[in-house]
Amino acid sequence: MNYDYIILGGGPAGVAAAVYAARKQMKTLLITESFGGQSIVSADIQNWIGDAHISGLALAEKLENHVRSFPDMVDVKIGERAVSIQKTHCTDPKRPCDFEVTTASGETFAGKAIMLAIGARRRRLGIPGEDRLDGKGVAFCSTCDAPIFKGMPVAVVGGGNAGLEAVIDLLPYATKIYLLQYNETLKGDPSTQEKIKAHPNVEILFNAQTKEVLGDAMVSGLAYTDRKTNEEKKLDVKGVFVEIGSVPNSEIVKNIVDLDTYGQVVIDSKHGTTSQPGIFAAGDITDDPYKQNNISVGDAVKATLAAYGYLLNREKKSPATEQKTAS
Amino acid sequence: MKTVKMYTTPTCVYCKMAKEFFKKNGVEYEEHDVANDEKAREEMIQKSHQMGVPVIDIGGEVFVGFNQREIAKALDIK
Repeated sequence: MNYDYIILGGGPAGVAAAVYAARKQMKTLLITESFGGQSIVSADIQNWIGDAHISGLALAEKLENHVRSFPDMVDVKIGERAVSIQKTHCTDPKRPCDFEVTTASGETFAGKAIMLAIGARRRRLGIPGEDRLDGKGVAFCSTCDAPIFKGMPVAVVGGGNAGLEAVIDLLPYATKIYLLQYNETLKGDPSTQEKIKAHPNVEILFNAQTKEVLGDAMVSGLAYTDRKTNEEKKLDVKGVFVEIGSVPNSEIVKNIVDLDTYGQVVIDSKHGTTSQPGIFAAGDITDDPYKQNNISVGDAVKATLAAYGYLLNREKKSPATEQKTAS
Repeated sequence: MKTVKMYTTPTCVYCKMAKEFFKKNGVEYEEHDVANDEKAREEMIQKSHQMGVPVIDIGGEVFVGFNQREIAKALDIK
Protein backbone atom coordinates (compact mmCIF):
# COMPACT_ATOMS: atom_id res chain seq x y z
CA MET A 1 0.00 0.00 0.00
CA ASN A 2 1.32 3.41 -1.00
CA TYR A 3 -0.52 5.88 1.24
CA ASP A 4 -1.46 9.31 -0.06
CA TYR A 5 -0.63 10.85 3.30
CA ILE A 6 1.29 9.59 6.31
CA ILE A 7 0.71 11.63 9.45
CA LEU A 8 3.23 11.40 12.26
CA GLY A 9 1.73 12.41 15.60
CA GLY A 10 -1.63 12.16 17.36
CA GLY A 11 -1.90 15.55 19.04
CA PRO A 12 -4.28 18.27 17.91
CA ALA A 13 -2.26 18.87 14.70
CA GLY A 14 -2.06 15.21 13.66
CA VAL A 15 -5.74 14.66 14.36
CA ALA A 16 -6.85 17.77 12.47
CA ALA A 17 -4.73 16.61 9.53
CA ALA A 18 -6.38 13.17 9.61
CA VAL A 19 -9.92 14.58 9.69
CA TYR A 20 -9.32 16.87 6.72
CA ALA A 21 -7.41 14.22 4.80
CA ALA A 22 -10.27 11.75 5.31
CA ARG A 23 -12.79 14.26 4.00
CA LYS A 24 -10.62 14.80 0.93
CA GLN A 25 -10.56 11.01 0.49
CA MET A 26 -6.81 10.81 0.85
CA LYS A 27 -5.80 7.29 1.90
CA THR A 28 -4.11 8.10 5.18
CA LEU A 29 -1.99 6.44 7.84
CA LEU A 30 -1.58 8.06 11.26
CA ILE A 31 1.31 6.84 13.42
CA THR A 32 1.41 7.90 17.06
CA GLU A 33 2.51 6.78 20.50
CA SER A 34 -0.77 8.04 21.93
CA PHE A 35 -3.47 10.61 21.25
CA GLY A 36 -3.82 14.02 22.85
CA GLY A 37 -0.38 15.57 22.55
CA GLN A 38 1.46 17.37 25.31
CA SER A 39 -1.61 18.70 27.11
CA ILE A 40 -2.76 15.16 27.90
CA VAL A 41 -1.26 15.63 31.39
CA SER A 42 -3.26 18.80 31.99
CA ALA A 43 -5.96 18.45 34.64
CA ASP A 44 -8.04 21.32 33.30
CA ILE A 45 -7.64 22.96 29.88
CA GLN A 46 -9.62 26.19 29.75
CA ASN A 47 -8.80 27.51 26.28
CA TRP A 48 -9.79 24.68 23.96
CA ILE A 49 -12.39 26.46 21.84
CA GLY A 50 -15.83 25.00 22.45
CA ASP A 51 -15.07 23.64 25.92
CA ALA A 52 -14.86 25.98 28.92
CA HIS A 53 -13.21 23.16 30.85
CA ILE A 54 -11.81 19.89 29.59
CA SER A 55 -9.17 17.54 31.00
CA GLY A 56 -6.23 16.52 28.84
CA LEU A 57 -7.40 12.93 28.92
CA ALA A 58 -10.95 13.83 27.84
CA LEU A 59 -9.55 15.92 25.00
CA ALA A 60 -7.35 13.01 23.94
CA GLU A 61 -10.42 10.73 23.84
CA LYS A 62 -12.38 13.20 21.74
CA LEU A 63 -9.49 13.54 19.31
CA GLU A 64 -9.01 9.79 19.01
CA ASN A 65 -12.74 9.21 18.47
CA HIS A 66 -12.79 11.77 15.69
CA VAL A 67 -9.90 10.08 13.86
CA ARG A 68 -11.49 6.67 14.29
CA SER A 69 -14.76 7.87 12.77
CA PHE A 70 -13.14 7.49 9.31
CA PRO A 71 -12.07 3.82 9.41
CA ASP A 72 -12.20 3.47 5.62
CA MET A 73 -9.87 6.39 4.97
CA VAL A 74 -7.55 6.55 7.99
CA ASP A 75 -5.49 3.64 9.29
CA VAL A 76 -4.15 4.16 12.81
CA LYS A 77 -0.93 2.75 14.26
CA ILE A 78 -1.03 3.53 17.97
CA GLY A 79 1.73 2.77 20.51
CA GLU A 80 4.22 3.32 17.71
CA ARG A 81 6.55 6.07 16.51
CA ALA A 82 8.54 6.83 13.41
CA VAL A 83 12.32 6.55 13.69
CA SER A 84 13.27 7.54 10.16
CA ILE A 85 11.92 9.06 6.96
CA GLN A 86 13.66 8.31 3.65
CA LYS A 87 13.05 9.74 0.22
CA THR A 88 12.31 7.06 -2.38
CA HIS A 89 11.67 6.87 -6.14
CA CYS A 90 13.52 10.13 -6.76
CA THR A 91 14.64 9.00 -10.23
CA ASP A 92 12.22 11.07 -12.32
CA PRO A 93 13.20 14.75 -12.06
CA LYS A 94 9.71 15.83 -13.13
CA ARG A 95 7.99 13.91 -10.34
CA PRO A 96 8.67 14.63 -6.63
CA CYS A 97 9.93 11.81 -4.43
CA ASP A 98 7.85 9.35 -2.47
CA PHE A 99 8.73 8.61 1.14
CA GLU A 100 9.31 5.59 3.32
CA VAL A 101 8.65 5.80 7.04
CA THR A 102 10.25 3.27 9.39
CA THR A 103 8.82 2.74 12.87
CA ALA A 104 10.45 1.77 16.17
CA SER A 105 9.27 -1.81 15.80
CA GLY A 106 10.84 -2.03 12.34
CA GLU A 107 7.79 -1.77 10.07
CA THR A 108 8.03 0.39 6.96
CA PHE A 109 5.26 2.34 5.25
CA ALA A 110 5.28 4.05 1.86
CA GLY A 111 3.59 7.41 1.31
CA LYS A 112 3.33 10.19 -1.24
CA ALA A 113 3.12 13.03 1.25
CA ILE A 114 4.06 13.34 4.91
CA MET A 115 2.66 15.45 7.73
CA LEU A 116 5.08 16.12 10.59
CA ALA A 117 3.00 16.68 13.72
CA ILE A 118 5.16 15.07 16.40
CA GLY A 119 5.34 18.24 18.44
CA ALA A 120 7.85 18.91 21.14
CA ARG A 121 9.08 17.39 24.36
CA ARG A 122 10.17 18.86 27.66
CA ARG A 123 13.39 20.85 27.76
CA ARG A 124 15.92 19.57 30.27
CA LEU A 125 18.25 21.60 32.49
CA GLY A 126 21.40 20.02 31.08
CA ILE A 127 23.21 20.06 34.42
CA PRO A 128 25.07 17.27 36.27
CA GLY A 129 22.84 14.91 38.23
CA GLU A 130 19.73 15.57 36.18
CA ASP A 131 19.89 12.42 34.04
CA ARG A 132 21.29 10.20 36.78
CA LEU A 133 18.53 11.19 39.21
CA ASP A 134 15.72 11.34 36.63
CA GLY A 135 12.73 9.76 38.33
CA LYS A 136 14.70 9.60 41.57
CA GLY A 137 13.45 13.00 42.62
CA VAL A 138 13.96 14.78 39.30
CA ALA A 139 10.44 15.02 37.87
CA PHE A 140 8.90 16.33 34.68
CA CYS A 141 5.19 15.77 35.40
CA SER A 142 3.90 17.61 38.44
CA THR A 143 0.30 16.55 37.79
CA CYS A 144 1.43 12.92 37.93
CA ASP A 145 4.06 12.89 40.62
CA ALA A 146 3.29 15.74 43.05
CA PRO A 147 1.53 13.47 45.63
CA ILE A 148 4.64 11.31 45.98
CA PHE A 149 6.47 14.30 47.49
CA LYS A 150 4.05 14.53 50.41
CA GLY A 151 5.83 15.90 53.48
CA MET A 152 9.01 16.79 51.56
CA PRO A 153 10.70 20.05 50.52
CA VAL A 154 10.95 20.47 46.74
CA ALA A 155 12.23 22.87 44.09
CA VAL A 156 10.46 23.92 40.89
CA VAL A 157 12.65 25.33 38.12
CA GLY A 158 11.00 27.77 35.72
CA GLY A 159 8.81 30.82 36.24
CA GLY A 160 6.53 30.45 33.22
CA ASN A 161 2.98 29.09 33.37
CA ALA A 162 4.16 25.48 33.57
CA GLY A 163 6.38 26.29 36.57
CA LEU A 164 3.63 28.18 38.35
CA GLU A 165 1.18 25.34 37.75
CA ALA A 166 3.69 22.85 39.13
CA VAL A 167 3.83 24.92 42.30
CA ILE A 168 0.03 24.83 42.50
CA ASP A 169 0.07 21.03 42.01
CA LEU A 170 2.64 20.67 44.80
CA LEU A 171 1.02 23.02 47.34
CA PRO A 172 -1.22 20.36 48.93
CA TYR A 173 1.70 17.97 49.43
CA ALA A 174 5.16 19.54 49.74
CA THR A 175 6.25 21.13 53.02
CA LYS A 176 8.28 23.80 51.26
CA ILE A 177 8.45 24.83 47.62
CA TYR A 178 11.33 26.86 46.19
CA LEU A 179 10.51 28.36 42.80
CA LEU A 180 13.70 29.14 40.87
CA GLN A 181 13.54 31.68 38.08
CA TYR A 182 16.52 32.56 35.88
CA ASN A 183 15.43 36.17 35.39
CA GLU A 184 14.16 38.87 37.70
CA THR A 185 10.48 38.43 36.99
CA LEU A 186 8.00 35.59 36.71
CA LYS A 187 6.47 35.11 33.27
CA GLY A 188 3.33 33.11 34.08
CA ASP A 189 -0.22 34.44 34.41
CA PRO A 190 -0.53 37.23 37.02
CA SER A 191 -3.53 35.54 38.69
CA THR A 192 -1.51 32.35 39.33
CA GLN A 193 1.47 34.43 40.48
CA GLU A 194 -0.67 36.10 43.14
CA LYS A 195 -1.88 32.76 44.46
CA ILE A 196 1.69 31.51 44.77
CA LYS A 197 3.19 34.66 46.24
CA ALA A 198 0.56 34.72 48.98
CA HIS A 199 1.33 31.19 50.16
CA PRO A 200 3.64 30.85 53.20
CA ASN A 201 5.20 27.57 51.95
CA VAL A 202 6.45 29.09 48.70
CA GLU A 203 9.75 30.94 48.36
CA ILE A 204 10.59 32.50 45.01
CA LEU A 205 14.29 32.74 44.12
CA PHE A 206 15.02 35.15 41.27
CA ASN A 207 18.23 35.27 39.20
CA ALA A 208 18.85 31.64 40.02
CA GLN A 209 20.95 29.55 37.65
CA THR A 210 20.81 25.86 38.47
CA LYS A 211 24.20 24.12 38.68
CA GLU A 212 23.76 20.53 39.85
CA VAL A 213 21.17 18.13 41.15
CA LEU A 214 22.68 16.55 44.25
CA GLY A 215 22.11 13.11 45.72
CA ASP A 216 23.33 9.50 45.72
CA ALA A 217 20.46 7.09 45.16
CA MET A 218 17.79 9.80 45.42
CA VAL A 219 17.76 13.60 45.15
CA SER A 220 18.98 15.33 48.32
CA GLY A 221 19.54 18.87 47.07
CA LEU A 222 19.86 21.39 44.27
CA ALA A 223 22.88 23.66 43.81
CA TYR A 224 22.43 27.00 42.09
CA THR A 225 24.20 30.32 41.57
CA ASP A 226 22.63 33.64 42.49
CA ARG A 227 23.37 35.50 39.26
CA LYS A 228 23.32 38.88 41.01
CA THR A 229 25.83 38.14 43.75
CA ASN A 230 27.57 35.18 42.08
CA GLU A 231 27.06 33.32 45.33
CA GLU A 232 26.86 29.52 45.14
CA LYS A 233 23.90 28.22 47.12
CA LYS A 234 22.38 24.89 48.00
CA LEU A 235 18.78 23.94 48.69
CA ASP A 236 17.92 20.86 50.73
CA VAL A 237 15.16 19.38 48.61
CA LYS A 238 14.01 15.86 47.75
CA GLY A 239 12.34 16.77 44.51
CA VAL A 240 13.31 18.91 41.52
CA PHE A 241 10.49 19.66 39.07
CA VAL A 242 11.81 20.87 35.73
CA GLU A 243 9.40 23.21 33.91
CA ILE A 244 11.53 25.21 31.48
CA GLY A 245 9.75 24.87 28.18
CA SER A 246 10.11 22.46 25.31
CA VAL A 247 12.30 21.34 22.41
CA PRO A 248 10.93 20.23 19.02
CA ASN A 249 11.01 16.51 18.15
CA SER A 250 12.71 17.22 14.86
CA GLU A 251 15.76 14.92 15.08
CA ILE A 252 14.35 12.36 12.64
CA VAL A 253 13.92 14.97 9.90
CA LYS A 254 17.05 17.05 10.40
CA ASN A 255 18.64 15.73 7.21
CA ILE A 256 15.54 16.05 5.07
CA VAL A 257 13.96 19.44 5.92
CA ASP A 258 15.37 22.82 6.98
CA LEU A 259 15.39 23.57 10.72
CA ASP A 260 15.93 26.93 12.43
CA THR A 261 18.52 27.53 15.16
CA TYR A 262 16.13 26.12 17.78
CA GLY A 263 15.67 22.91 15.81
CA GLN A 264 12.16 23.89 14.73
CA VAL A 265 10.97 22.88 11.28
CA VAL A 266 10.81 25.98 9.09
CA ILE A 267 7.39 26.23 7.42
CA ASP A 268 5.64 28.57 5.04
CA SER A 269 2.88 29.75 7.33
CA LYS A 270 0.31 29.99 4.54
CA HIS A 271 0.60 26.36 3.43
CA GLY A 272 2.54 24.45 6.08
CA THR A 273 5.08 23.42 3.46
CA THR A 274 8.69 22.64 4.43
CA SER A 275 11.88 22.87 2.39
CA GLN A 276 11.21 19.33 1.10
CA PRO A 277 8.35 19.07 -1.43
CA GLY A 278 5.85 16.53 -0.15
CA ILE A 279 6.67 17.02 3.53
CA PHE A 280 4.29 19.27 5.43
CA ALA A 281 4.40 20.25 9.10
CA ALA A 282 2.17 21.80 11.74
CA GLY A 283 2.05 22.37 15.49
CA ASP A 284 4.81 22.60 18.06
CA ILE A 285 7.47 21.02 15.85
CA THR A 286 7.34 24.08 13.58
CA ASP A 287 8.72 27.61 13.85
CA ASP A 288 5.24 29.04 14.35
CA PRO A 289 5.64 31.39 17.34
CA TYR A 290 2.53 30.41 19.29
CA LYS A 291 2.51 26.91 20.74
CA GLN A 292 -1.21 26.41 21.21
CA ASN A 293 -3.58 23.49 20.64
CA ASN A 294 -6.01 25.61 18.67
CA ILE A 295 -3.27 26.99 16.43
CA SER A 296 -1.86 23.50 15.82
CA VAL A 297 -5.29 22.45 14.60
CA GLY A 298 -5.66 25.38 12.20
CA ASP A 299 -2.13 25.06 10.87
CA ALA A 300 -2.58 21.34 10.28
CA VAL A 301 -5.78 22.04 8.34
CA LYS A 302 -3.96 24.55 6.13
CA ALA A 303 -1.09 22.12 5.58
CA THR A 304 -3.45 19.27 4.74
CA LEU A 305 -5.37 21.31 2.20
CA ALA A 306 -2.00 22.25 0.72
CA ALA A 307 -0.99 18.57 0.71
CA TYR A 308 -4.21 17.72 -1.13
CA GLY A 309 -3.34 20.37 -3.72
CA TYR A 310 0.17 18.95 -3.96
CA LEU A 311 -1.16 15.45 -4.65
CA LEU A 312 -3.67 16.74 -7.24
CA ASN A 313 -0.93 18.57 -9.02
CA ARG A 314 1.48 15.66 -8.85
CA GLU A 315 -0.89 12.91 -9.88
CA LYS A 316 -3.04 15.10 -12.15
CA LYS A 317 -6.11 13.55 -10.52
CA SER A 318 -7.68 13.51 -7.08
CA PRO A 319 -6.84 10.72 -4.62
CA ALA A 320 -10.54 9.75 -4.70
CA THR A 321 -10.57 9.02 -8.46
CA GLU A 322 -7.38 7.07 -8.10
CA GLN A 323 -9.00 4.76 -5.54
CA LYS A 324 -11.97 4.20 -7.81
CA THR A 325 -9.73 3.21 -10.71
CA ALA A 326 -7.71 0.93 -8.47
CA SER A 327 -10.74 -0.95 -7.12
CA MET B 1 -2.08 -15.07 33.98
CA LYS B 2 0.68 -13.07 35.69
CA THR B 3 -0.33 -10.95 38.71
CA VAL B 4 -0.40 -7.25 37.92
CA LYS B 5 0.16 -4.68 40.64
CA MET B 6 0.02 -0.99 39.82
CA TYR B 7 1.13 2.02 41.86
CA THR B 8 -0.71 5.20 40.96
CA THR B 9 -1.72 8.71 41.96
CA PRO B 10 -5.27 10.01 41.42
CA THR B 11 -4.13 12.77 39.06
CA CYS B 12 -1.79 10.76 36.85
CA VAL B 13 -2.97 10.53 33.26
CA TYR B 14 -0.62 7.71 32.27
CA CYS B 15 -2.04 5.67 35.17
CA LYS B 16 -5.52 6.17 33.71
CA MET B 17 -4.26 5.16 30.27
CA ALA B 18 -2.73 2.00 31.75
CA LYS B 19 -5.94 1.15 33.61
CA GLU B 20 -8.00 1.61 30.47
CA PHE B 21 -5.59 -0.59 28.54
CA PHE B 22 -5.95 -3.31 31.21
CA LYS B 23 -9.76 -3.05 31.20
CA LYS B 24 -9.91 -3.22 27.42
CA ASN B 25 -7.78 -6.35 27.41
CA GLY B 26 -9.45 -8.03 30.40
CA VAL B 27 -6.35 -7.85 32.59
CA GLU B 28 -7.07 -7.96 36.32
CA TYR B 29 -4.88 -5.70 38.41
CA GLU B 30 -4.38 -4.55 41.96
CA GLU B 31 -4.12 -0.78 42.36
CA HIS B 32 -2.30 1.11 45.11
CA ASP B 33 -2.78 4.85 45.44
CA VAL B 34 0.60 6.12 46.66
CA ALA B 35 -0.80 9.60 47.32
CA ASN B 36 -2.81 8.20 50.24
CA ASP B 37 -1.02 4.98 51.15
CA GLU B 38 2.44 5.63 52.56
CA LYS B 39 3.28 1.96 52.87
CA ALA B 40 2.57 1.48 49.19
CA ARG B 41 4.66 4.55 48.40
CA GLU B 42 7.67 3.09 50.21
CA GLU B 43 7.10 -0.27 48.51
CA MET B 44 6.97 1.42 45.11
CA ILE B 45 10.21 3.37 45.70
CA GLN B 46 11.97 0.20 46.93
CA LYS B 47 10.79 -1.82 43.95
CA SER B 48 11.49 0.73 41.25
CA HIS B 49 14.27 2.79 42.89
CA GLN B 50 12.52 5.93 41.70
CA MET B 51 9.64 8.28 42.50
CA GLY B 52 7.53 8.51 39.36
CA VAL B 53 4.14 6.93 38.64
CA PRO B 54 2.80 4.72 37.30
CA VAL B 55 4.88 1.76 38.41
CA ILE B 56 3.54 -1.51 37.06
CA ASP B 57 4.69 -4.83 38.48
CA ILE B 58 3.87 -7.72 36.14
CA GLY B 59 4.76 -11.00 37.81
CA GLY B 60 7.85 -9.44 39.40
CA GLU B 61 8.97 -7.54 36.29
CA VAL B 62 8.84 -3.82 37.14
CA PHE B 63 7.93 -1.14 34.58
CA VAL B 64 8.16 2.60 35.22
CA GLY B 65 5.70 4.66 33.19
CA PHE B 66 3.19 3.31 30.69
CA ASN B 67 4.74 2.05 27.49
CA GLN B 68 1.90 0.18 25.82
CA ARG B 69 4.23 -1.84 23.60
CA GLU B 70 6.33 -3.13 26.51
CA ILE B 71 3.34 -3.82 28.76
CA ALA B 72 1.51 -5.67 25.99
CA LYS B 73 4.61 -7.77 25.39
CA ALA B 74 4.97 -8.63 29.08
CA LEU B 75 1.33 -9.76 29.15
CA ASP B 76 1.37 -11.54 25.78
CA ILE B 77 -1.30 -9.23 24.40
CA LYS B 78 -1.26 -8.96 20.63
